[in-house]
Amino acid sequence: MTAHAAFAAALLDPDVAVPAGLTAWNGVDPMRRFAVYRNNVTTALTGVLADSFPVTQQLVGEDFFCAMARVFLRAHPPRSPLLHEYGHDFPAFVAQFEPARQVPYLADMARLEWLRLASLHAADAPVLAADDIAPLLADPAALPGLRLALHPAAAVLQSAHAVVSLWGAHHGVGALAEVDPYAAESALVLRPMLEVLVLRLPPGGGIFAAALAAETTLGEAAAAASADPSFDLAENLALLIRHGALGALRSSARN
Amino acid sequence: MKTTANHATTFGASAAALALALGVALTTASAPAAAQDMDKEKCFGVAMKGKNDCAAGPGTTCAGTAKMDHQGNAWKYVPKGTCEKTASPTSPTGMGQLQAFKEKKA
Amino acid sequence: MTLPIETSSSSLRSESACRGGALGPAARGHLPARAGVGLKPQHFQDILDSPGELGFFEVHAENYMGAGGPMHHWLTRIRECHPLSVHGVGLSIGGQEPLDAAHLARLRILLARYEPEAFSEHLAWSTHAGAYLADLLPLAYDGRSLRRVCEHIDEVQMALGRRMLLENPATYVEFADSTMSEADFITEVVRRTGCGLLLDVNNAYVSAVNHGCDAAAFLAALPLEAVGEIHLAGFAVDRDAAGEPLLIDSHGSPVADAVWTLYEEVLQRIGPVATLIERDHDVPDFATLAAEAGRAEALLCRMAASTAEVCA
Repeated sequence: MTAHAAFAAALLDPDVAVPAGLTAWNGVDPMRRFAVYRNNVTTALTGVLADSFPVTQQLVGEDFFCAMARVFLRAHPPRSPLLHEYGHDFPAFVAQFEPARQVPYLADMARLEWLRLASLHAADAPVLAADDIAPLLADPAALPGLRLALHPAAAVLQSAHAVVSLWGAHHGVGALAEVDPYAAESALVLRPMLEVLVLRLPPGGGIFAAALAAETTLGEAAAAASADPSFDLAENLALLIRHGALGALRSSARN
Repeated sequence: MKTTANHATTFGASAAALALALGVALTTASAPAAAQDMDKEKCFGVAMKGKNDCAAGPGTTCAGTAKMDHQGNAWKYVPKGTCEKTASPTSPTGMGQLQAFKEKKA
Repeated sequence: MTLPIETSSSSLRSESACRGGALGPAARGHLPARAGVGLKPQHFQDILDSPGELGFFEVHAENYMGAGGPMHHWLTRIRECHPLSVHGVGLSIGGQEPLDAAHLARLRILLARYEPEAFSEHLAWSTHAGAYLADLLPLAYDGRSLRRVCEHIDEVQMALGRRMLLENPATYVEFADSTMSEADFITEVVRRTGCGLLLDVNNAYVSAVNHGCDAAAFLAALPLEAVGEIHLAGFAVDRDAAGEPLLIDSHGSPVADAVWTLYEEVLQRIGPVATLIERDHDVPDFATLAAEAGRAEALLCRMAASTAEVCA
């Protein structure tokens, strides 16, 4: 084991002994000095997670969240020095974290917050504007095979819980006590200008937008979303166009 | 708008249904934003923050040395946040009733 | 001693966006000997509203390595009007493993995009076996470390096509394996690689107190002629197991008086050098931070009253 391997192992696990060969000028046990590094690592990484998942933290409280974050970071330390990428696997961890199961919508809240962070740092790209789409109406036969990809900064979350309403209630939109957390909702996350927004999609909209995001054709996406009897294709298309959720246009031959 | 939804349902993803829906969508998408009902669901922006810095944490007293955290059977934390204020179908009061978690020994 | 030639001569930019801008194109190439602050998102708008107030801004490289979005938007606008220092925290130059080639490539892209006047990294390690530990960790000062650090710095300077500045660390432990002092180690790294020194006066003070040394003597033993930038920051006070003060490089408070005194001594020795006020925790409003930078600016001004660049 190299010196840095021993140092790193003891940083992440306080049950591992302080590495050998540390000294202090006054000859005092270096344990407390090494604890500064342990504290730095843990504080920095729990801080990053708390910054990236603020509503997730509010839902369970700081003590629970920080303890959960410590379990996570010891098992899943960052694999990259880009800390805004840290935590992409945190929602999956929350989903299987036994003590969090009493808050069944917690993992989906973490998923929504992760999508917001990913949107913030996503690539800049032109949006598909209404003017770009209008000419397509000249060739209706090509429409079912059209692939309307989402903008790089747009993403969809289909949840069995009221993630958008719960998220909104933590930002002054609606009262928390009036939200039924068990009502399914789908969220559209997007970055129209420089700010990340969250929208609640209308019925079937989650299926439709997720199908577009998976690069299925417009015809297939519309057919899939029609499984929801209240799905309104025009309303959903209007919403995606109006908020700049669509990106590059790619057509494909019908088959 | 409901008529186009019916078209979409009836004809699946036919060219005609798509053309009609897209035509309606282009009209409504260009209407003033204030008239759009979905805008009320718009929420706030992400607070931008650089995640990397080169500063040390505040003191040695924090959690980096807590030994018990990673032992599932020693978990002593109960969710105590806003989740307690959300409705829970399993609770007679309508509010979440959260229990201390006890992990089963393997 | 494979020092690449500085290649950022063609960094002319539009001045139109800079109302009363801090610099003209002629000022490009090196950081001005003025005071700057670390760039924080909550200050973006304030900075654009008051161009020229500060001499430069510094960013942590990793915070601007996302694909797109507002961080790049704001940095692009601010960079149009101000000198820029890019300060990496994730390269792990003191690591026992090879440098992360992907991260070095990201750095090259970032520096090509923003053409900063300075690029710096730390004498520390932060990655091991693929895990990034999010802290600047200490290394033993021995021959093997020295060879590895020099190889890494050579590799960085070659890959980036420019000279880098290496920052002296704040440390909390020492190693039985060390065979040389930190000052001797840094002196040798600078001599072998041709890199410059980012002199963190707060780190020097923190480490000196933590290891029972005299900070002024430590500073005097450093290769001060290689200093390309200075960092000032605040520390927190803790205690070791014997109750001796253990200073923490927390960047969460104003610069301490002892550090200001050392800073002045350094300036008297080497003349005015670009100086950054670092603040990462409990960040105050921009006016407060700018006022602290103003204290450094006043000292820089006094040191070189004849230099128009400083006092203009």
